[in-house]
Amino acid sequence: MAAPRVRVDLKGAVATLTLDRPRARNPIDENMASQLRDACSGLSSDNSVRVVVLTGAGDVFYAGVEFAGRYRSGTPTKTLPQSFTVAEHIAAIPKPVVAAINGDAMDQGLELAMACDLRIASEHARMGLTQLAHGTMPRDGGTQRLPRLVGRARALEMLLTARVVNASDALRIGLVNEVAAEGRAVELSHELAAAIAGLAPIATRYLKEAVLKGLDMPLDQGLRLEADLSILLHSTADRAEGLRSFVERRPAAFRGK
Amino acid sequence: MGFETIECSKRSVTAHVILNRPHVINAFNTRMRDELYEALEWAREDRDVRVVVLRGAGERGFCAGADLTEFGTAPSQAVARDVRWERDLWDLMRRFRKPIVAALHGYVIGTGMEMACFCDVRLAATDAEFGMPELSLGLVPAAGGSQTIPRDIGLGRAVEMFLAGPTRRLSAREALAIGLVQRVVEKDALFDEAERLARQLARWKPSVVEAVKRAVVEGMDMPLETGLRLERRLAARLGGATV
Repeated sequence: MAAPRVRVDLKGAVATLTLDRPRARNPIDENMASQLRDACSGLSSDNSVRVVVLTGAGDVFYAGVEFAGRYRSGTPTKTLPQSFTVAEHIAAIPKPVVAAINGDAMDQGLELAMACDLRIASEHARMGLTQLAHGTMPRDGGTQRLPRLVGRARALEMLLTARVVNASDALRIGLVNEVAAEGRAVELSHELAAAIAGLAPIATRYLKEAVLKGLDMPLDQGLRLEADLSILLHSTADRAEGLRSFVERRPAAFRGK
Repeated sequence: MGFETIECSKRSVTAHVILNRPHVINAFNTRMRDELYEALEWAREDRDVRVVVLRGAGERGFCAGADLTEFGTAPSQAVARDVRWERDLWDLMRRFRKPIVAALHGYVIGTGMEMACFCDVRLAATDAEFGMPELSLGLVPAAGGSQTIPRDIGLGRAVEMFLAGPTRRLSAREALAIGLVQRVVEKDALFDEAERLARQLARWKPSVVEAVKRAVVEGMDMPLETGLRLERRLAARLGGATV
């Protein structure tokens, strides 16, 4: 049995997924990747979980295989083997996932963060996809998700120059949603997660589906998907509760039904 | 034209379509949808009209969202779905060949913001505030917002607006910074500025304006190579100078 390198903490409706190899700056090895994949599928099917927070232990989110190599003796890993990829599994969680970027998120670390729905970065966190500088390229979704977040021109510039951006630049270009004071990224992420946990769970899941699937479709097809999902929601008790609460001027109590 | 929920007028080359239910901050209902559909079909067919300005009546805002009193009145989902498609206003706006300028003030919430996102250029008054509160009501955006907003402001920021919607609204300045609106002007000057911009767009040759709109909007839905072919085809059809 491999030592646990991914921690899952459940608190109310919020699950926190922590990359837990702080002494090595949280790089993913094969064990950790498979633990992460298992954790993602577990959280997807657990109905008591409404929001997931992904973070790293210590003062690093995840410094990436290549980046971590520089901190260790020996040859850095040149390419990321297929068995190390996990971003797809994070992206497949049908609930909102918040990345609490508590420290540097380099290479695969940034790729994991980009597979989340929202990103809150600590003010000292640095982010970049620097694989090119190590003679390799992103392979956990970086070349696809970065342009979708920051636009084609900025993505190409960041990738081709292996540029590392600081948190305030990341905010300006839309790579992160919020910048937190040093040491507060996890706390702010939990505050945000708690607010999101109060939203209607089925509507939230449908919204995520409409947005992500819709971006891969021509606009007219995306509009049809949105219309169908919104009408499907008419069957939920939560929609009725939402409208009732609005009329009665009180917060809604959603049950995910 | 005798409308109840909107006003519609022609100023030589521009048509002004005004959401006109100020007592409920221009809340969008089925009647308004049908009247907007009719007004936009008229503006599309009227040969004098080259640009449409869309704005809201009253002090408080452009549009505070969908009229929730209408929600839950459909007898079944099948009926609701039929009602949705009987007049597809959003598709009419998506395919509209003439430019539409949105002049946004005060509340631009939910359906109001989605309606604005089907316009081509958005001007905001300094007092405008933007928000998408649907999820806190057990709803999802249903006027195209889940599709248009990510395309306009990027995936990360769009998801943030939806998930943080009920707790956070964007100011006009913030909207400008992320590209949700293209200009911010003083409130008193908003409608004049919108008219001035519309007149500027009305000076261009209509067939060229239409071709540019189509190339951009349809091109964004295509692989680059196909979009480049579309651009060449549209340009060739215009005739004149060739490269």
